[in-house]
Amino acid sequence: MMNQNNSAILHVDHLQKNFGKLQALKNVTFDVYPGEVFGFIGPNGAGKSTTIRTLLGILRASGGTATLFGKDVYKDSVSIHKHLAYVPGDVYLWPNLTGGEIIDLFLKLGNTKHNRKTDMMIDRFKLDPTKKARTYSKGNRQKVALIAAFSTDADFYIFDEPTSGLDPLNEEIFQQSVMELKKEGKAVLLSSHILSEVEKMCDRIGIIRSGEIVETGSLSDMRHLTRTVIEFQTMQLTPELQTLQGVHNVTVGTNGLTTFSVDSDQMSYVMSYLASKQIVSLQSTPPTLEDLFMRYYNSNEGR
Amino acid sequence: MENRNFHQTWFLTRFSLKRDWLKLTLWSVTLIVLFAAVAAKFTTIYDTQASIDEIVKTLKSPSMISLFGKLSGSTPYTTADVFAGEMTVFMAMIAAIMNFSIIIKNTRGEEDSGLLEIIQSHSVGKLSNLASSLIELFVINLLIGLFYALGLQFANLTGTDTNGNFLLGLGLGAAGFMFAAIAAFLAQLVDNSRSATILSYIVFGIMYIARMSTDVSNPKATWFIPFGWVEKFSTYQKNNWLPVLLMMSLSLILSVAALWINDHRDIGSGIIATRPGRAKASAFLRGPLSLFWRLHRTTIIVWVIGLLILGFTYGSIFNTIGDILKTNPAMEKLIGATAVHKANILIIKHFVAILMIVFGVLALFPGIQIINYLKSGESKGYLELIHSKPVSREYLFTSVLVLGILTSLAALFAGMLGLQLGGASVMKHPIALSVFLHGFYAYISPVLVILALSACTVGWLPKFAVFGYLYTGFALFVGYFGKLIDLPKWIAKFTPFGYVPNVPVSKIDLGTMWWQLGIALALIIVGYIGYHIRDLKSAN
Repeated sequence: MMNQNNSAILHVDHLQKNFGKLQALKNVTFDVYPGEVFGFIGPNGAGKSTTIRTLLGILRASGGTATLFGKDVYKDSVSIHKHLAYVPGDVYLWPNLTGGEIIDLFLKLGNTKHNRKTDMMIDRFKLDPTKKARTYSKGNRQKVALIAAFSTDADFYIFDEPTSGLDPLNEEIFQQSVMELKKEGKAVLLSSHILSEVEKMCDRIGIIRSGEIVETGSLSDMRHLTRTVIEFQTMQLTPELQTLQGVHNVTVGTNGLTTFSVDSDQMSYVMSYLASKQIVSLQSTPPTLEDLFMRYYNSNEGR
Repeated sequence: MENRNFHQTWFLTRFSLKRDWLKLTLWSVTLIVLFAAVAAKFTTIYDTQASIDEIVKTLKSPSMISLFGKLSGSTPYTTADVFAGEMTVFMAMIAAIMNFSIIIKNTRGEEDSGLLEIIQSHSVGKLSNLASSLIELFVINLLIGLFYALGLQFANLTGTDTNGNFLLGLGLGAAGFMFAAIAAFLAQLVDNSRSATILSYIVFGIMYIARMSTDVSNPKATWFIPFGWVEKFSTYQKNNWLPVLLMMSLSLILSVAALWINDHRDIGSGIIATRPGRAKASAFLRGPLSLFWRLHRTTIIVWVIGLLILGFTYGSIFNTIGDILKTNPAMEKLIGATAVHKANILIIKHFVAILMIVFGVLALFPGIQIINYLKSGESKGYLELIHSKPVSREYLFTSVLVLGILTSLAALFAGMLGLQLGGASVMKHPIALSVFLHGFYAYISPVLVILALSACTVGWLPKFAVFGYLYTGFALFVGYFGKLIDLPKWIAKFTPFGYVPNVPVSKIDLGTMWWQLGIALALIIVGYIGYHIRDLKSAN
């Protein structure tokens, strides 16, 4: 990915946003490249939506720069939006218009028209477009925005927690549709709380906490930063294990199994130690995104 | 009371009183202060019999009857009679606005926003919310009524008596609650708060126009119109409590009916259900302007047609107003038929000149509402997706501005057209439309100034978007009432209407028009800048 630095579609550099005295964004820096899905995760109130709204030119940055397609997100918002599709986390639709009318309106506002893909998407998500928006549930309102976004021929897609109201079936359809975009070489910024979704779809991840990006990289890059959980049984006793560098939380189970976690960079040393004690069984669990997430969020966690 | 249906009603009542205390206090204090201040003022304005006789003559003219209702009583009139004659219908109108907005918000509005669902998931009766809202408004209207009565006792106008004071005060309170019950009932029929509000105002408009025409033509028929009951108190004369009884009975019937419907329907539904619509957008719905038209279509049509009808109604009493021969039959011989005709037209022009402010202000409301959509749509989250489209903020701003201005002008024009058509329907020699158009042209510039001021507010300080309405309401108060309560002339200069000549009696003053248009343009440009650089709010 590093060699793609020059071709980034979205380039965010030290972005800051203050609301009065409150520093909502302190330092947000990341890039998104064509053909990748970038996962944007963080706890509530960390600044995900504020970042996205700044990228959309709805909010004006207090400092730093953000460019989409090489243009300033605030000054050139109109020309940028010609190649952009967005689905907010909370979709509010005009109660007295039907879903079908709203989809078509969004398409027309983006200088496109109701097309084959629109019908396909309406069919896929199983939306009744003749119903007035006031009768839609949260999930159905999200479908309206998703259908409009997916049938827009954009280069950059922003999804802000788009599946919070969808059932698992529709969530699957959403993931499938995003993968299709990826295949077409589009760039996607996906903010989500559903970590399994991010793990499954995203090439790279940015973790934001209190208005700052604390980590970016691919999931495998990040795994190096964290610990693998290992459960094993050996013929000989392993009294030294606890004292080894990079080993944490050793617990001996009643069934003869011992569990501990190990820093990734100490892995091979610890493995050779265990091998010397004649391994009977060994199971390693790679860190999940959830572990990563928890580690960054619980700032009090002892390392 | 069935416990299943009304469980926790008292708790909810206390809760809504606590939740709404600021709104309720502001409304009550405004109404009471307005009422008491006018009462106090009257003792100084109408202190001689001559001044009373003078204003009584005015109040007895058909034009004033159509505006304020029929003056009850007989000579010698007292200050108290004049006060009751001028204030009753007006205060009842304001009470209607207050009660409509609060009861619809607390019943249908809570249902729309989903709050009611959360409340009802608790151990709360099915009808408790509606019942508690009705109780809340009953309490508030009763308190307002009592304070009116006490204010009158305190002001101690010549000719008042305790019975009349309490009749007028509590009668107005009862009228307020009757409007609450009407809206509560109508809110059960439709399935969203917007339709409930529109329906309530349509019913109100019909009642207002009906009482206006029966007052002028056949006052006895006014008994058939609930809104007309407030005119039948005969305050300080016969002190008739029957209308109060009628209003309370109607309120009770409508409340029970509302509760019955509420009990028999599902949450979020109404008798008149929202029908499914088109699966695809029409070719017309293609951008912000057509979207805003679509969103405000009903409002625009209701206001334009409403003003047309209002104009027509006023116009249809021209023959009664503009007939000086009625009061002075010898006139024709004295000055000749042509001169009489001219004099008649002059009287009508004077009448129209008084009405102009009403049309100007009413025409402003839908325009301000459309311009304020930049704020209301933004804070409700409707505009967020539009902001992510290749649509510039300038384009959005221009769209609401153009639609708002066109709507206000169309409504104002409809009012003038209505006057002409109404007049033509009853007069042998109708007045030409051009006479009314003088009024229209002269009012374009002040209307634009206020719309531009609203746009400027939305551009910079969306929080204070309500300012446009308040300012317009102030203009109505000064224009409609200022002369009667003898407000100092400089107060009128606080609104752009105060600078417009007395059209259509006088001619348009082009100088005034140009500087007002200049101010409007400047305000719009300032508003543009504000909207361009400010952060847009989001729903969450």
